[in-house]
Amino acid sequence: MSEFKSGFFVGGESCNGRVLIVDDEADIRKVVRMTLQKAGYEVLEAENGEKAIEVINTGENRLLLDVIICDIRMPKVNGIEAIAYFRKNYPRVPLLVLTGFPDTDMATSLLREGVLDYLVKPVEGEKLKAAVARAMEQRQLAPL
Amino acid sequence: MPRTDSQPRTKVAILGAGRGGTALLDLLHQIQAIEIVGITDRNPNAAGLQRARELQVPVYQRLGDLVSNHGINVVMDVTGDPALGRSLPQLVPSGTDILSGSASRLLWELVQHESMLQAELLHAEKLAGVGSFAAGIAHDINNPLQLILGLAENLLEEQDLDAVHAQAAEIIEAVKRTTAICRDLTSYSRRASACHEAAVPVNAKLEEALKIARYAVALHDIDIRRSYHPDAVVTGNPDELLHVFVNLITNAVQAMEHGGVLTLESDVTDAGTVVRVSDTGTGIPPDLLGQIFEPFFTTKPPGKGTGLGLYNIKNVIHHMHGTIGVESHVGRGSTFSLTFPDAAADRSVHA
Repeated sequence: MSEFKSGFFVGGESCNGRVLIVDDEADIRKVVRMTLQKAGYEVLEAENGEKAIEVINTGENRLLLDVIICDIRMPKVNGIEAIAYFRKNYPRVPLLVLTGFPDTDMATSLLREGVLDYLVKPVEGEKLKAAVARAMEQRQLAPL
Repeated sequence: MPRTDSQPRTKVAILGAGRGGTALLDLLHQIQAIEIVGITDRNPNAAGLQRARELQVPVYQRLGDLVSNHGINVVMDVTGDPALGRSLPQLVPSGTDILSGSASRLLWELVQHESMLQAELLHAEKLAGVGSFAAGIAHDINNPLQLILGLAENLLEEQDLDAVHAQAAEIIEAVKRTTAICRDLTSYSRRASACHEAAVPVNAKLEEALKIARYAVALHDIDIRRSYHPDAVVTGNPDELLHVFVNLITNAVQAMEHGGVLTLESDVTDAGTVVRVSDTGTGIPPDLLGQIFEPFFTTKPPGKGTGLGLYNIKNVIHHMHGTIGVESHVGRGSTFSLTFPDAAADRSVHA
């Protein structure tokens, strides 16, 4: 597949990068995983901001997490709060927002805070993969 | 409810408890600057007298007893009786103003107009609220759409027949989920039909309201507790009552920005059917409690609230001959209690 350009090895498998999808809907996590796994990414899941913060602070994820895709409207720690946390503590990890609600004001303020892209559901697989690929490029430009 | 007024209230006596007197009573009762010192009617079974008792307005059997003291400022004569109109000036103490004859008819026209405006206001406020549903609707439509799109894209390449069947079935289920949104919201946003009174099962209405409120407010951090009496039924307009419940639930959840407990209760007591909506949110400061049912009073930032929600609720409840009260503690939460006198027991139940 053409997306395999900067593959490295994690646990013996060829991997384009490690992506965390944060969404309270299991269905969304499932289709995002489906799409990105086929493109050679390793996909981690979290069902809300609180879990996402747990995941990124776990073991090698601190170093090896490449891209976070985050919903906004979620229980416990919502997307806005989670994104603020990631920007503060993991400023080098590119963030993509994937939300059901097209809100121009929110998109503007998030992009200003350093979110790389604001994607509105439903987003096509090709578009999602392109956004993740762009995020991966940025990730590689910003070494640890 | 505590009152916060500092100015003396205008004391009013109502003569006549027919249609006009009842409407006047309902209207004036809502105005904080007015105190209704009593109402009377020659007919002891007049509708307005019953209403007055519900509102705890004193009912007088003899006109003379009512108008002769109390320091009344205005006597409103809506009996339409010309003889009374002529004799009234002799009956009331000097300094008391009298509204009668064509002046009271004019007032009746104004009351009618006011009641029409209230109905318009209720609908306008409801539609303004529907605007805040956008985020919830988008969530409920776009999430299934993302699933459908993702699965369909996958199907383009899927070779395994079992997987194709399973994913097609998932798509069908996702489509079905989205159709619920239109069903919920089209029935909610329609104009409440004016003459549509029925026995309304309270518990089912509360559940329906909860389904609609979740478009306006996120319920995922809210622990919902229910305590329902199986026979809780009230008489009223089902659409208006739904609107009341949606509003109370929405307010309760908005008071709990960082989560909490929403309690929905119904009970059947000697006083009638009681409905309570409680939250464990910010609470209402005592100095604001007296104002929350006033029109255009809001604690929300500009553009976020019309200030008409509780005002409309109070009007609907009063039309249903019920009462609404609130108990609130800052930092601990609020409970809104609706009490409806028992009148629905022998009616058939409509959802």
